[in-house]
Amino acid sequence: MEARVLFHISSLPITETVFFTWVIMVLLTLVSIVFTRNLKTIPRGMQNILEVAVDGIENLVHKDMGKRGSGYVPLILTIALFILTANLISIFPGTFAPTQDLNTTAALAIIVFLVAHGSEIRVKGLGPYIKTYFQPYFWMFPINVVGEIAKVLSHAFRLYGNILGGTIIIGILYMFAPYVLPVPLMAWFGLFMGVIQTAVFTLLAVAYIQVRLE
Amino acid sequence: MLEAAIVIAAVAVGSGLAMIAGLGPGIGEGYAAGKAVEAIGRQPEAENSVRTTMILGQAISESTGIYSLAVALLMIFSFGFPMFNKLMELLG
Repeated sequence: MEARVLFHISSLPITETVFFTWVIMVLLTLVSIVFTRNLKTIPRGMQNILEVAVDGIENLVHKDMGKRGSGYVPLILTIALFILTANLISIFPGTFAPTQDLNTTAALAIIVFLVAHGSEIRVKGLGPYIKTYFQPYFWMFPINVVGEIAKVLSHAFRLYGNILGGTIIIGILYMFAPYVLPVPLMAWFGLFMGVIQTAVFTLLAVAYIQVRLE
Repeated sequence: MLEAAIVIAAVAVGSGLAMIAGLGPGIGEGYAAGKAVEAIGRQPEAENSVRTTMILGQAISESTGIYSLAVALLMIFSFGFPMFNKLMELLG
C-alpha cells in the first residue's frame, strides 16, 4: 500500500508518488504551453476543452466569492487539474496515482487551509481573525479550533480514502482475472469517482476560502 | 507465535468492526437520493442543479464511511500483513 521507492537522487528516496507527481506536472505544463500558442477568438479543438475548464472554474469561484474571488481562480484551477489528472492516470496499468498517498492529499488540504486563513488575515487583519475564534461565546475557543482542524483533516482524508479504496479494490481484482474483471470497476472507481472526488475537493476548497473571507 | 496469532485475529475482527460505519453513508445517501428524486418529480426542469447538489452532498456524507475504510485498510496493511509474514517465518 505504501508508495514504493523507485530510485534515489543522491541519497534522497524518490517514491512513486513524487515520481508520478512530476509526470503530471510535466504533462500539465506541456498541455498548457502547447495548446495556448495561437489562441483564436473562435476556439477550435483543444482550446475548446481548456476554455471549458477555465470558464467552469471561473464561474464557480465568481458565483461563490463574487468579483474578489478572481484572484483565487489560478490556484483553484491548478488544484482541480492536478487532482483530476492524478485520479485519472490510475487507469493505466503500472501507474500510481499520487492522490492515493496521504502525503499528497494532506499537502493539498494544508495549502487550501493556509490560503484561506492567510487571506482572511490579509483582508481583515490579525485582531478580527483571532476574534473569530471566540465567536459566539469566549469558551467556544477550543471547539472552534478543533472545528478548523477537523475541516482540514476531513478534506485530506476524503480524497485519500476514496482513491485508495478504489485502487485497492481494483488491485485485489487484478489477482483474480487480470484484464477482464477489473475493467468495469475501474470505470466506476477510476473515472466516475475520480471526477466526483475532484469536484468535491475543488468545491470544498472554494467554500473553505469563501467562508473565511465572509 | 501465540502473540502473532492474537494480533492477526484482533486485526481481522477490528477491521471488520470498523466497516460497520459503512452503514451510515448508505442510509444517508439513499435518503438524499430519495429526496432528490422527489424534488425532480416536482420540478423536472430543475433536474441538473438537483442532481449536482445531490452528488455533492452524497460525496461529502460519504466521507465518514471512507474514514472507516481508511482505518480498516490501515489496520490490515500496517499491522496485519507484517505480523502475518512474521508468523509465517516463525512457522518456518
